[in-house]
Amino acid sequence: MEDFELLRYVTVGQYLPGDSLVHRLDPRTKLSVFLFLTLAATFSLSYTANAVLVLVTLGLVLLAGIPLRYILSGLRPALPIIIALAILQLLFYGGHYVPYGLESRTLFQWGWIHVTNGSVQLVVVSMLRFVVLLFLTSLLTNTTTLTGLTHGVEAMLRPFARLGVPAHELSLVATVALRFVPLLAEQLEIILKAQASRGASIAHQGKLRFVSTARQVAVLIVPLFVDAFRRAEDLILAMQARCYVGGRGRSSYVHLEFARGDYIAYGAGLLFALAILALRNRFPV
Amino acid sequence: MKEGTLSVRKIVLAAVLSAIAILLGWTRLGFIPVPTPAGNATIMHVPAIIGGVMEGGLVGGLVGTLFGLFSFLQATVPMFKDPLVAVLPRILIGVTAWLAYAGLKRVNEYLALVVSAAVGTLTNTIGVLTMAVLRGYMAPGVAWTVGLTHGLPEIVVAAILTVAIVAAWKRVETGRGEAKM
Repeated sequence: MEDFELLRYVTVGQYLPGDSLVHRLDPRTKLSVFLFLTLAATFSLSYTANAVLVLVTLGLVLLAGIPLRYILSGLRPALPIIIALAILQLLFYGGHYVPYGLESRTLFQWGWIHVTNGSVQLVVVSMLRFVVLLFLTSLLTNTTTLTGLTHGVEAMLRPFARLGVPAHELSLVATVALRFVPLLAEQLEIILKAQASRGASIAHQGKLRFVSTARQVAVLIVPLFVDAFRRAEDLILAMQARCYVGGRGRSSYVHLEFARGDYIAYGAGLLFALAILALRNRFPV
Repeated sequence: MKEGTLSVRKIVLAAVLSAIAILLGWTRLGFIPVPTPAGNATIMHVPAIIGGVMEGGLVGGLVGTLFGLFSFLQATVPMFKDPLVAVLPRILIGVTAWLAYAGLKRVNEYLALVVSAAVGTLTNTIGVLTMAVLRGYMAPGVAWTVGLTHGLPEIVVAAILTVAIVAAWKRVETGRGEAKM
């Protein structure tokens, strides 16, 4: 029966209740600091900058009280792919990459394989960046409820409404989407059971027979889409019958307010990210 | 009743299609095992293509963006834990699919669907691989191999699914042969 329980192994993006400093921050603060630090990590190429980022985000994860084992447990199924990609990166990227802060040196060459200190740096920095972003997403999604996040996104998009950005509508899209995921998951389970009871095999048939696997998937996907469209039509009708119009003049049940801690966290996050970005060409290695 | 750039219909359909994309990622139903190094062909971009075909470029772009954001947030591989690889190329999937569909719709509906599925898939594959090479996650040679071995099965699968889904829905919508599924 395990095959039918679809959302059982989802760990990423789940809210872990808690009362840490990070939990109590305003969602807007968390979203902003997340954006700042993501940018800083994305554009840092040096060992030092990424090591500093790993230490800082690790500190924040410990502060938030998220168990490290919980964060890393989601990685286990992907480990073979991570290692395979890292090896490909190490072996074949050498000739194309000038290492940051070091003179390019060839460490090993044999036929097509070309390992330089640049490719070593590339692999190590990619891994460090991966860890940083893993910690950051976990900090954002495991300490904030999804409704908190969508309210935060809406509040942050509101200033752009003057430029014609439909802030309220966009956050409504996200809210409805998140609300629909469990509904559709339930529907998918029903479809799976229905097809299985008719004798359809839902196990993958091995890699070489991907066309027949795709056909099996179509047997599940097409009804899923059609059901989703039906539900969408119902919702559209219900909303139009109630004369729903978008954001302008609409008040909200939830009011977000910045506390002192938010100003401090926002300022600290911004300054730290700016420092990393400004110094990104000055780190020793 | 005055509606803004995003009508109720567009809001709801963008949301529902994004929900399907998220669900396909969570349940691993969106991955079809194929005999290539990376191991899986994806069909998670199909909702973005369908959004573009059915409701236009804005909805397609929104579905693609949400799909990209989620694949970034729950990535377990370094390459996709990079917003420039995971989010940026995905925004365009629905937009290019819509352009292809709008251009060919008058010629032949089915042809337009197949071509737009192919164009949307190619946007995803080429966009992601280009960004992966630019960001140093893949050597160009490896990217070409992945592109060729993945691109083809993904195009075939995406085209089959897009035609099947849009045809099934349109038949239901127009009331001909109301098939209970």
